Amino acid sequence: MYVELQDINKKFGGYQAADNINFSIEKGKLIGLLGPSGSGKTTILRMIAGLETPDSGSIIIDGQRVNDLPASRRGIGFVFQNYALFRYMTVFDNIAFGLEVQKRDKAYIKERVSELIKLIGLEGLEKRRPHQLSGGQKQRVAFARALAPSPHLLLLDEPFAAIDAKIRKELRTWLRETINKVGITSIFVTHDQEEAVEVADEIIITNSGRIEQIGTPIDIYKKPATPFAAKFIGESIDVDRYGELHGFETDEHYDHAVLRPEFVKVTKVDKELYPYASERGTVEGIFFRGNMLELRLNVKGLKLISYRALEDEIFEVGEEVSILIYRLYLYNDKHVRMVENASVKANELFII
Amino acid sequence: MKQKIVKWALIGLGALFVLIMLILPLATVLVYALRQGWETFSEAILDEYAIKALNLTLFTTVITVIVNTVFGIFAAWSIAKFRFRGKQILTTLIDIPFSISPIIAGLVFILVFGRIGWAYPLLELWNIKVVFAVPGIVLATIFVTFPFVSRELIPLMQAQGSDEEEAAALMGAGGFRIFRKVTLPNIKWGLLYGIILCTARSLGEFGAVSVVSGHLRGKTDTLPLHVEILFNEFKLTSAFAVSSILVLIAIIILILRNIVEYRVKKRGGVNDYVR
Repeated sequence: MYVELQDINKKFGGYQAADNINFSIEKGKLIGLLGPSGSGKTTILRMIAGLETPDSGSIIIDGQRVNDLPASRRGIGFVFQNYALFRYMTVFDNIAFGLEVQKRDKAYIKERVSELIKLIGLEGLEKRRPHQLSGGQKQRVAFARALAPSPHLLLLDEPFAAIDAKIRKELRTWLRETINKVGITSIFVTHDQEEAVEVADEIIITNSGRIEQIGTPIDIYKKPATPFAAKFIGESIDVDRYGELHGFETDEHYDHAVLRPEFVKVTKVDKELYPYASERGTVEGIFFRGNMLELRLNVKGLKLISYRALEDEIFEVGEEVSILIYRLYLYNDKHVRMVENASVKANELFII
Repeated sequence: MKQKIVKWALIGLGALFVLIMLILPLATVLVYALRQGWETFSEAILDEYAIKALNLTLFTTVITVIVNTVFGIFAAWSIAKFRFRGKQILTTLIDIPFSISPIIAGLVFILVFGRIGWAYPLLELWNIKVVFAVPGIVLATIFVTFPFVSRELIPLMQAQGSDEEEAAALMGAGGFRIFRKVTLPNIKWGLLYGIILCTARSLGEFGAVSVVSGHLRGKTDTLPLHVEILFNEFKLTSAFAVSSILVLIAIIILILRNIVEYRVKKRGGVNDYVR
């Protein structure tokens, strides 16, 4: 294991930012630390970097305990949320800073900086100052600056938070590809699950200073380990009285269920396929969501959401429709259990 | 239409106020100074005691500005970049010189270093004179002008945060390099602005200095004190002539201040940080 955190605790006044954190990361992986704001993810990142000191526990990087090593000697590259570019230096000087600290000779610095500027695709902008760059460009410079001194580990704090939505998507793909190309072990912090799912090899979900689940994005999506993970990953609708739904029985250990829009299939009443498994409900609202329609449904007083492709048959508000729910995540305050629609299973029918 | 009237009425009122309250008195100083002709004027400002007073004022100002710049940067740095207990108290303490009357500041030094002060025997032992001597004047001036530099820097450095410093530290840079390469360029205009304000105030400081000086002509007289002495001796023309030196320096400082303010606004200024 390349990076290991063992029993890390950190308190800020009365606020527990890290509560017995344990995890380890393999060399070369790209890890996403995902959690809502205030969940302690940035604190974890800053402790690994040496910008905060844990109250107890060990941080091990490449087999060495680094707790007592100052940030400047850990050999870590860090990309700040607001880039933290040196505003009075040019792009070139920003990237060269770490190399100058290392007292490399001029020729090497020039070569290395040019190489990095090429990597981030900003040739010709070497002499610009940070305030003359766009958000995406600043982000790339910050990335190059962090990579310049050849760190063993790259940490990124909310790398896309300050960039507008359209460029963010582009930059995500770019970052993922570039990190793979460089082959550096990286950890990034985000509160955006879509970002984490898209970019990370592995996700660590944090919540109020604790780790909820560690796994690949698909694993977490399919098998959420805790109620928090079930609700945080993917879109979720909270359902009580789930036992009233066809094909589901009340499990006395679980009093609530999480339902995802993609688990709900809506059809016209006359095209209903599984009468025993389906429900009748009404369409309460239809909203255009750019590339699909969002349906607000009412089934026995439960409010559900489903998505529908634009090419599909059109419903009207108030129309009675057939609704098939084929999966639920039951949960209580500690555990999560996935259940399939029993009536569908009994019919041995295949679901898309 | 109505808005226009309001606008010009307000501008006119402001201009009138500035004219009566600020420009007229300053102009009067120059008029009085030159009333008895150029010769009396030059005689007054080339007077032995006037020149000594000017020298003492400049000496005091240079020391004060150096000391307050160094400590101002230290104070602003520690308040803006570190978390610690009692930070709020320290910030409040820095403001003390602004909130108490300069005359009290002067008395404080008399009470500490004067004949009745607790530090007097110690000073006696080392044969140092503080009160009614130059060190006292310098101390009092430093006290009164202490907040200018740090007050200017604290909000600026707080707005900037410590991200850039942290980024530099993570790349292995030491404290001095971080200060020289990252912090100093970021604060330079604010710092210069604080230094100019501090200089202006040091040159003109009267209250605190008046208490600790002892008014020894040619020894512990600063320029403002010298003006007072001349005035008390009914040498009005001389008093105004010497005053005009201070007015001249003030105008130069005002111009410098405007240039710096313009630079601060133009680039890398506060607007840039708030974004």
